[in-house]
Amino acid sequence: MFKELGLMALDSLRANKFRSLLTMLGIIIGSATLVAVLSLGNALQSQVFERFVDLGTRRIAVLPGDPQARGARDVPGYGLLSIRDYQALEQLVARHPDVFRTIVPEVSLRVQARAGNSSVTSTVVGTTKDYQLVQTVPVMYGRFLTDTDDQQTARVAVLGALVAEDLFGKENVAGAIGRTIEVNGKPLQVVGILRQLGGPFSSDQRILVPVSTARLRIAGNQDLPGRGLQMSSILLNLQSERMVERGERLVTSTLRATRNVPDGVIDDFRLNLPTQALGVLAGINGAITGFIALVAGISLVVGGIGIMNIMLVAVTERTREIGVRKALGATDGDVLSQFVLEAVAISVVGSLIGVTSAIALVALVGAAAGLGVAISWVAVGLALAFACIIGIGFGYYPARRAALLLPIEALRYE
Amino acid sequence: MYHDTEYLTPVEVTDYVTEPVVRIEHVTKDFVTGGNLFRALDDVSLEIHRGEMIAIMGPSGSGKSTLMTILGLLDVPTSGTYWLDGQDVSALNRGQQARVRNQKLGFVFQNFNLLPRLSALKNVELPLVYGRLGAREREERARQALEAVGLGARLHNRPNELSGGQKQRVAIARALVGNPAMVLADEPTGALDTRTGAEIMGLFRQLNREQGITIVVVTHDPEIGKQMDRVVGLRDGRITENILQEYYHVGVATEELELPGRDPVPVPVQVEQQG
Repeated sequence: MFKELGLMALDSLRANKFRSLLTMLGIIIGSATLVAVLSLGNALQSQVFERFVDLGTRRIAVLPGDPQARGARDVPGYGLLSIRDYQALEQLVARHPDVFRTIVPEVSLRVQARAGNSSVTSTVVGTTKDYQLVQTVPVMYGRFLTDTDDQQTARVAVLGALVAEDLFGKENVAGAIGRTIEVNGKPLQVVGILRQLGGPFSSDQRILVPVSTARLRIAGNQDLPGRGLQMSSILLNLQSERMVERGERLVTSTLRATRNVPDGVIDDFRLNLPTQALGVLAGINGAITGFIALVAGISLVVGGIGIMNIMLVAVTERTREIGVRKALGATDGDVLSQFVLEAVAISVVGSLIGVTSAIALVALVGAAAGLGVAISWVAVGLALAFACIIGIGFGYYPARRAALLLPIEALRYE
Repeated sequence: MYHDTEYLTPVEVTDYVTEPVVRIEHVTKDFVTGGNLFRALDDVSLEIHRGEMIAIMGPSGSGKSTLMTILGLLDVPTSGTYWLDGQDVSALNRGQQARVRNQKLGFVFQNFNLLPRLSALKNVELPLVYGRLGAREREERARQALEAVGLGARLHNRPNELSGGQKQRVAIARALVGNPAMVLADEPTGALDTRTGAEIMGLFRQLNREQGITIVVVTHDPEIGKQMDRVVGLRDGRITENILQEYYHVGVATEELELPGRDPVPVPVQVEQQG
């Protein structure tokens, strides 16, 4: 019976091809939008996530505490990080090789750099070879810092792309390797130049030097009273993303102990966890996706209203047919099912057309933009299910009108 | 138009041995149009017997169409009772009415009322679809029904590929396919030329004779009335004649009806037609 009704429904779509297509348009657009947006949204999201993986989803950054935070104690130098914190964490990393892979210091100094007649204000970052593991610092020319550099407090520097351009001129960047620059009056030999990445968090405008060099040759006295060298941040690289929580606990307890934070008092340092960044990103992406999905949903509902309209017309046009069917023994339920199924057929066929075009479109855009595009099958399912619901929802009222026609009046309808 | 009609020596039909297929008693049907009450049927009682082929005749407005819709369970009487095939169908709900229409009644309409997008076979299958029969059995029975009306070669033609007479044959096959207790035909020759109309009436008679199918034809055409076993005449919502015309038909006990000294009653209708 159901099969018969389904065939009848498809047959009546074929009977009015152009009209059916026009009626489907809203559903086609809605379904296509839904699938395209959710699929491309997924692709964009995974691409951004991959960037984040570059920057380290395995990274915990220890940052100075905020003296303005509620519960912060009013002591001089509150929240600042020092070499003692670094050393304590260094021991922690050595004790837990299953959790941590490496630890990297970051000593940032505001400096004046000069080469020949050119001069720029820049930031020197004192760090180690492992900086490459926690930050995106691809070397374009020359080499990166080495352990030997650090041990020897070598007078070497790796320049960010923009710093190198400013000091040597855009066309002479490659030739800058081996040249000497002055940083706060101290000569450093350029051993490497980084590729330009762009963005506020890149090292484009930084000068990277061995941490020992930063401390002993450039900083002068940056020591905190009784605590040694001040550090701008300490970066810990984890063995895997699954270690984020455990690493966070270990780092927190170690730092609280080293820094004598009493129980019940808030941390006087901050941890930057990758999960937070990922969460925020996913949230933003979800909001945008949700909004566009809502627009698609509205389009589907408008399509549904179109279906209701055309079904009301169909019921009027086919009043005699309804009368004949009833005379032959169709129950109200049979007629209801027939017209509801017809509405569902319009919406589902429309949805299938929309989904198919969206898949083609997404594949095309993906190929053109070089994105690794995955069709969101959830969105496909969602679009089809939604189309079904809309067909039933908006088909019910016209179908009910058909079902409740009196057979004799329907038969006599001209 | 109908004018003076004189009926000669009507035979009141009273005694049958068979159980009536239809028994209606004191059926009244009122319509309200524009605030006025119009009584389309006024206390009509009638029995139709198995295997009979009868005509319900009368001028337009006589109530013959209303009687047809009530017999066909397409409408319900205002008052009165209706037994169909031994079942009281006066107070069924819509679903039950649909079921009875499907199982016990077959309809043939003046303008065929075939579904234009379905083949002859599919049109004939339709009552069986609503009767929830399986596809294979449906097709087999529909094929047989079409063969029985002489359309075995046109199974897959659509109505617009068939002549008027062929369309009406398809409609008759559709009416017969569910083995109904009674076939109701509303002006079945009204849209056909004389010769084709005669062929269709011949087919009805053949089906009635060979298969004992009970057939009720609503018509205003006296030529058709002549060919019937019995003519029920209506005027102003009342039965004015109920005349047996032939003795030999299937369901009637002949000995009961062979009244002494009576020859088979000649066709008793005299009609003047204008226009």
